[in-house]
Amino acid sequence: MTPAAPSFLGFERSDGRAGVRNHLVILSVTGLTGPTARRVGRVLPAAIVITHPFGSGLLGEDAVIQDRAIAGLASHPNVGALVVLGAEPSKVQAAVLAAEDRGRRVQGFSLADAGHDVLRLTDLAVRAGAASLRALSADRRIPLPASRLVLGLECGRSDPTSGLAANPLVGRLADRVLGQGGIAMIGETTEWLGAEHLLARRARTPEVAEAILDAAGRREAQALAAGLDLTGSNPSETNVRAGLTTIEEKSLGAIAKSGRAPIEGVLTYAEAPTAPGLWVMDAPAYAPESVTGFTAAGANLVLFTTGVGNGYVSALAPTLKISANAATVARLDLQLDIAADGVLAGEETLDVAADRAFETLLDVASGTLTFGEILGEGDEVIARFRASL
Amino acid sequence: MLDAIVIDPADHVGTALRDLPAAAAVVPRGPAGAMLPVVLVEPIAVGHKFALMELAVGVELRKYGEVIGVTTVPIAAGGHVHVHNLASRRARSVGRVGV
Repeated sequence: MTPAAPSFLGFERSDGRAGVRNHLVILSVTGLTGPTARRVGRVLPAAIVITHPFGSGLLGEDAVIQDRAIAGLASHPNVGALVVLGAEPSKVQAAVLAAEDRGRRVQGFSLADAGHDVLRLTDLAVRAGAASLRALSADRRIPLPASRLVLGLECGRSDPTSGLAANPLVGRLADRVLGQGGIAMIGETTEWLGAEHLLARRARTPEVAEAILDAAGRREAQALAAGLDLTGSNPSETNVRAGLTTIEEKSLGAIAKSGRAPIEGVLTYAEAPTAPGLWVMDAPAYAPESVTGFTAAGANLVLFTTGVGNGYVSALAPTLKISANAATVARLDLQLDIAADGVLAGEETLDVAADRAFETLLDVASGTLTFGEILGEGDEVIARFRASL
Repeated sequence: MLDAIVIDPADHVGTALRDLPAAAAVVPRGPAGAMLPVVLVEPIAVGHKFALMELAVGVELRKYGEVIGVTTVPIAAGGHVHVHNLASRRARSVGRVGV
């Protein structure tokens, strides 16, 4: 008898994606309306408030990325309903259309709609949000296969236990989800340096291999142009004291999060994968920007390893915090969702730890809260690359 | 508590999981369980690597099953493997920009 395929209880979306949460999101797409969005959130504490601090005056790459990321957040699979706020009607309309295209319940209000009166804008948003919360509460979870999971894979405040156990554990979780036909993404391009040839070797096609090497080379050149030699200064003195010898060793520990699957393609920041499998995102390494790149690309869960502790989580995608450092596990028992210190204590193998962690992952997909959700550590931060006008 | 871990069957090195003294007979945990003991020729600090076997000069040294550098001097079994005897194949030889 074959065991049943792994599944979870989720929200089926009309665009074919799967939600693991059914959030009402108050999304402010311009810096001018952030305070109003936060005020609405205080009236409707069940809502998730996401504010983007910029607006007009972005150029070229930044303008494109901002529009793409906002559209991705607005239509995220964990969004059950959305209220969009913004200064300019055109920016509000763009986010509303992105959400409507994917079948989300959405209403949008600009400052112009409210006669440039922030109290009236608050009133419009609160009323729309309250009605949406009522509608959302009538939605029910249904069994969905693990193939509908889209993972973002992240690490932050790493230490030697990350590369030895926590990241390889996440690699095994990614392999399991990918083996079911799901999607996983890794980013943090600078962490590929020294191991980019190994990622390239796993590329599905020669073109993808070339794109991986190009992305790593471009990021290294950008750093050099700014006076920072990433391959000359890595591993850092702290890393060397902790036992890391070469940049290859450091990067191998980081990319262990990606498991062993072939790489389907290289995504630009916040770009959604177009097929199942493992994807790499050419993106900044700082966790808030990196994780938002994954959520804007449709990640419905994030797996986030840490050595000494890192509280950042996505506001939209439940983020499982994982550590294999025994001292961190003892100190941050209410901030870690998966403890992997038993692997380095000799109490369990990585495969046994992965069995346990996979159950936790499916439980969280079905609605069990992460500590990041309970504590309200979540945010979404869209990366910026260039100057504003 | 384990003494040391070996991540991949192809690896040349183990990693200490606690501070290990010289002359200790260490039994690393490998992917398939306990491995043959290695007698350390010098103290190995937590997080640092030691050779599982004698290594000649110019060996492409493996950890995670992949090459992490090339040995620059012979290393005895149980010897410390670090920046004094292992060189990156990727890092720039000129240090920081402008130096």
